[in-house]
Amino acid sequence: MKKRLLLALFTAGAVAGGLLSTKAFAQQDQELSPEEEIRLVQEFNRMLAEGVNPGEVWYEVGKEAIKKYNLDKCDLGLGPGNFKGAMAQLPRYFQDAGKVMDLETRVGWCLQKHAGMKPEEVQKFVKQCWGKSGNCMSEYDAIIMYLTMESNGYKVNVNLKDPRVKKMYEIGKQAFQTRLGPWDFNCATCHAGKQEVRIRATRLWSVDRPGEVGSAVVIFPKYLVRWGLPMSMHYRYAECIRQMRWPEFIPHSDLGVALSAYLYGSANGTEIKAPGIGR
Amino acid sequence: MRKIVVGLTIAGMVVGGVYAQQKKAQPKREEAVKPEEVMQVLKTGLSSDPRFAWKLNQDEAQKICSKYKSREEMPAKELQRVIQLSQQSIAYPQWGIYWGDWKEGQKIVDSPSGGRYASYGFSDSPTAKGGNCYACHLIEKGKPGGTMGPNLYGYGKKWGISKENMNSPEAVEKLKAVYNIVYNSWSAFPCSSMPRFGYHGNLSTNDVMNVVTYLLHPESPVNK
Ligand code: HEC
Ligand code: HEC
Repeated sequence: MKKRLLLALFTAGAVAGGLLSTKAFAQQDQELSPEEEIRLVQEFNRMLAEGVNPGEVWYEVGKEAIKKYNLDKCDLGLGPGNFKGAMAQLPRYFQDAGKVMDLETRVGWCLQKHAGMKPEEVQKFVKQCWGKSGNCMSEYDAIIMYLTMESNGYKVNVNLKDPRVKKMYEIGKQAFQTRLGPWDFNCATCHAGKQEVRIRATRLWSVDRPGEVGSAVVIFPKYLVRWGLPMSMHYRYAECIRQMRWPEFIPHSDLGVALSAYLYGSANGTEIKAPGIGR
Repeated sequence: MRKIVVGLTIAGMVVGGVYAQQKKAQPKREEAVKPEEVMQVLKTGLSSDPRFAWKLNQDEAQKICSKYKSREEMPAKELQRVIQLSQQSIAYPQWGIYWGDWKEGQKIVDSPSGGRYASYGFSDSPTAKGGNCYACHLIEKGKPGGTMGPNLYGYGKKWGISKENMNSPEAVEKLKAVYNIVYNSWSAFPCSSMPRFGYHGNLSTNDVMNVVTYLLHPESPVNK
């Protein structure tokens, strides 16, 4: 009931937003005013208290989009259209594609196979709401939300005994350590170390503190109150990489798969609980 | 002569800590995947926009630093190599070391922008520059900052700089030592998470001089 109401509200908002010209899709701001910050935190707390996560709206839209784009034919490793628990065993090796893929990369592959999209179209489809905020509804985000939530309650179980998966895990692990670019960052700059650190006010998770990779990844896609949309894992990679001053991240690339193999592989045993919610 | 002694002491202060920590250095590393292969995967996952191709040229120091999870794990030889490469790279302002303008320095310290580019919405302007120092440091009392780097409250006082001695040769040596840290942090703290701001040209020599002035000047809010 609550979900329906939310969906209705959201859709109305999206339509109104659309009519108000593209300005409605404001750029995501870097720095917020203190008032804006306070408002967001209040809204965030209210949503948490009411047990409402607007990310769930995307689940409903995703269910429809799966049909629209023929993704019921998509095989995430447990057979075409068998999505329950499928996310939990990703990334994995796919015979038909001849490579290891994570959820998002696999969905991109399926969009090409079953919805006839060209690779460039897939890239556009993935990024349609990137850098926007305020009622931007992306069918791609919705599909990823739907497919992930179908694995809620399952424990991450990446098969690191498969040498092909293990190899991507190792590449991801080393990529995580690679210092590169004009600011000399690697992922470990911000996400490693026993000691807890903050970057400005944000507490950072660390691969070196037990359980933290797990709790960081199982909540993706994560609904961001300040942008009003859920952020998929590849969007998260892109944002961290932008902060690192590296050239822009290409979603569905092997780099994405390698990072996922490392992060989800390190999260084995953690229960999937999407969507998370954050400020 | 006295100048040299002061210079050495300062260098010792900074580098000493590093060597003290890394007695039982032993490289730990799985050799299953080669670094070239990792670079290959990295490159195919990052935009090939020719304007940013230079960002993907990994230099020797970055290569060394990518191999170790922490400074403590680094063998002495590698530490020395990074320090050596970094010290060699340091360039100074045309007029040498001088007291710059702390207000200009403050602007750079405060600004988080510079170098962030993405085709999907939010990018810094090409001329934007900043050190984003507050991401990692607490600097002026009362301004929120991160905790990845050390607290820099009263940093000039910590170096013993006062109105009376600020133009002495010793003070100028200290100015230079901190200049070296901000220009190329790896010259004092090899493989630090702190970016090498001057080395990469993110900040010019004069920018670095202004930032250092902001950190050390007795009039600067850092030292109030
Ligand atoms: C300059 C600092 C920095 C670097 C370098 C960095 N990140 Fe992040 N990362 C952050 C911040 C800040 C967040 C947001 C945390 C939050 O919102 O709670 C974050 C969040 C994440 C999250 C989601 C955690 C969550 O709960 O929202 C993942 C996964 C992640 N980063 C992966 C990476 C990977 C992979 C790399 C390297 C390619 C990387 N990060 C590099 C700063 C960084
Ligand atoms: C990504 C994190 C990061 C950023 C950004 C950063 N620093 Fe640092 N800084 C550090 C760390 C970590 C250290 C400690 C050195 C070490 O042990 O590696 C440090 C050390 C220092 C020191 C030496 C402190 C001492 O012990 O004497 C100074 C001075 C300094 N930083 C100034 C700056 C200034 C100025 C800026 C911006 C222009 C800046 N830092 C930006 C992480 C950072």
